[in-house]
Amino acid sequence: MALNIYGQQLDSRFLIGSALYPSPHVMKQAILASGSQVVTLSLKRQNPADQAGQQIWRYLQEVVTKVNGHLLPNTAGCKTAKEAVTLAKMSREIFQTDWLKLEVIGDDYNLQPDPIELLNAAEQLINDGFKVLPYCTDDLVLCQRLYDLGCQVIMPWASPIGTGKGLMNPYNLETIRLRLPDATLILDAGIGKPSDACLAMEMGYDGILLNSAVALADNPVLMAKAFSQALQAGEQGYVAGVMQQRQTAHPSTPTLDTPFWHQN
Amino acid sequence: MNIHINGKAYSLSDEIHSNVSSALTLHFIEPQQSTFAVALNGDFVGKSDYDTTQLNNGDSLDVLLPIQGG
Repeated sequence: MALNIYGQQLDSRFLIGSALYPSPHVMKQAILASGSQVVTLSLKRQNPADQAGQQIWRYLQEVVTKVNGHLLPNTAGCKTAKEAVTLAKMSREIFQTDWLKLEVIGDDYNLQPDPIELLNAAEQLINDGFKVLPYCTDDLVLCQRLYDLGCQVIMPWASPIGTGKGLMNPYNLETIRLRLPDATLILDAGIGKPSDACLAMEMGYDGILLNSAVALADNPVLMAKAFSQALQAGEQGYVAGVMQQRQTAHPSTPTLDTPFWHQN
Repeated sequence: MNIHINGKAYSLSDEIHSNVSSALTLHFIEPQQSTFAVALNGDFVGKSDYDTTQLNNGDSLDVLLPIQGG
């Protein structure tokens, strides 16, 4: 089954970030090991003579070309709709893509998205032809509003960026899945362990976007593989249909004609 | 004319560096070989508009390049 991003069908449901790796080489190997076809990146003020920055950009281009993948620029660091819209337009010119991971941060402590500015920016960008993938909280009504604006992909957080705390509120995430059955739902931010990703996929989420959990692992390349397998296991578990929980024990082994005991 | 490029102050000759295109030569050695995008006072300026976008005293240019991101 394919991941649908605004009509683009992708084999991998794993979207991966390009930051925080120990080296550009490890970044490249981890992205390849993940099997991901979508790699996030950003724009920042830099000295154009900075060769390290240019090297990273070349590495990312190589990787994305090799996997026939897509760049997904983000608007990290933006705090207002105006900032995000400007950065989005700059990204579109550089990366030649209308895909955008829309981030508008409302609080510096937990990097929680600002729902008011996020909706405002999403509306402007969709009207300008962008294919917006908004990073948002696990608030059902906010997700619904983003979907109503035309965001075909919604990316609620599992927990705050970079915490690795996993799924803080499974009930909220399950409710979003239940109430937005036609949206492409990608869990973004806060994933720490492969089992977190597996759990989200078992809920019926369409994909996972993460960065720190792989980049900060002792062995990022191996962790990228582990996440890839966890996503596949969770997806297959969801498709296969999980059994209903039961309140009482039921023996797995047939009890009819049990020998030796309870004979009286 | 005084402007800022990525937060750094520059004093420009009004005649020589009157538009975005000419101001970028202060910041880049070879701008045509770099991957970047520009905003003027917080608004995007497309490459096709560099030559025609005039600068004024106190303007602030942001020149952004690709970087890793999550």
